[in-house]
Amino acid sequence: MTRIVVVTSGKGGVGKTTSSASFASGLALRGFKTAVIDFDVGLRNLDLIMGCERRVVYDLVNVIQGEANLHQALIKDKHCENLFVLPASQTRDKDALTEEGVEKVLNDLKQMGFDYVVCDSPAGIERGAVMALTFADEALIVTNPEVSSIRDSDRILGILQSKSRRAKEGQEAVKEHLVITRYSAKRVDEGEMLSYKDVQELLRVPLLGVIPESETVLQASNAGSPVIHNKESDAAEAYEDLVARFLGETREMRFVSYEKPGILKRIFGGA
Amino acid sequence: MAKPIEFKAGSLHAMSAVLREIDNVRLADALQVMLGGIGEFFAGEPAVIDVTQVTQFPTRIDWPGLQSLLRRYGLQPVALRGAPEALHAGARKAGLAILDGLDKEPQLPVTPATETPPAPEPVAAPAPSRGSPMVIDRTIRSGQQIYARGSDLIVLGAVSNGAEVIADGNVHCYGPLRGRALAGASGERSARIFSSNFGPELIAVAGVYRTFEQGIPQALAGRAVQARLQGEGEQASLLLETLITD
Repeated sequence: MTRIVVVTSGKGGVGKTTSSASFASGLALRGFKTAVIDFDVGLRNLDLIMGCERRVVYDLVNVIQGEANLHQALIKDKHCENLFVLPASQTRDKDALTEEGVEKVLNDLKQMGFDYVVCDSPAGIERGAVMALTFADEALIVTNPEVSSIRDSDRILGILQSKSRRAKEGQEAVKEHLVITRYSAKRVDEGEMLSYKDVQELLRVPLLGVIPESETVLQASNAGSPVIHNKESDAAEAYEDLVARFLGETREMRFVSYEKPGILKRIFGGA
Repeated sequence: MAKPIEFKAGSLHAMSAVLREIDNVRLADALQVMLGGIGEFFAGEPAVIDVTQVTQFPTRIDWPGLQSLLRRYGLQPVALRGAPEALHAGARKAGLAILDGLDKEPQLPVTPATETPPAPEPVAAPAPSRGSPMVIDRTIRSGQQIYARGSDLIVLGAVSNGAEVIADGNVHCYGPLRGRALAGASGERSARIFSSNFGPELIAVAGVYRTFEQGIPQALAGRAVQARLQGEGEQASLLLETLITD
């Protein structure tokens, strides 16, 4: 049974694509056959984060318009055996995404025996974003601990409730998960940032994971390798926890509390 | 033989649009603020344009403009009340009936009846009748709007910033109220707003509204609060009181 998971946020630049890449990679590392689709037609990025930009021949729009089949367009990931990337088109505009077309692609992926299809949504609440969430069974709502990001996430939750196929057909609602990214426990401690508890209270969605702000995320993006593969990074561990929780395991929230460096550490520097 | 037309006296239940000034631009702004630009807020109800409270009348009034403004919100203006005689001709031309003098003493057609019909019993104004309340289990998200037409609204989830809950009757919020809440949306002044965790952007009862630019007063923020109207006419304001819930 294929589960379709949309990664969405409303606001741009909060870490949707980074989260999609690491989440999809994490599922594949656990042995699930996973596809990750870039819905950001015209502004494709996922291929860069996944490091497969030089292997893009066909894209989502080509498949929707029948110019290529899925086998031709799916790019096998360089790290994971079970992971495939379906890139967005850089040259078309988002009107090329039709509901029938997207549904057909997703149905074909189901036929091909994928366990998970991760849909990386573009920012905004327009066509691309709506197409990405229309067929979702579950949703990862990516939010920064910041008021405008929270409001936009709230808005996209409303759209999920009204425009998803599940909502329209009166089926069981899309299962919502909250993912807080770019979290700095230090700045929360200093009162400069909303805590993850504040964010969760405002959005009232079950918390799936808190990803700490980390330099390794940018390095990973530039290197074209999802951060979850960088074993030394806090962000990688946080994404691994997130995937485990998504799969039903219980993991304690890490990287959410800040301890002031002790006097020895201040004198002798961090080890 | 049945007559092709017959005249019967009847009463019509109509909304009163009580204007305090006649300036279509300012009215459009005020409606935008009150109703948030919701097209078809009303459901095509007939409306009487009541200008009895207007103190200064312009010499010319753009009746068609005013009518189309009200129609934009789903009201159907049918009549005018309280305008000086000089404006009657223009209003009639725009298709509005002039109610002044008519509705105080209904002029019954003089019929050559031999018996005077018994005077109708004076009927007390009926208490606002309501349908069963609308109950919303989930959280109402930014950009979403819920309108309980002709009834109370009960929200069990939160009302997020940028969301709007509207009822013709009372509004009850059991989750945190962070968006806008409008009770008595068709003018019922006795309507109230109840919130178990008070923190709205705006509240309004029967069109009298209040925003919280300076933040929610400390004594009310996050507490159980009710809002209701006090005072009459121009002096009407919203009274906010904490509720004792335990």
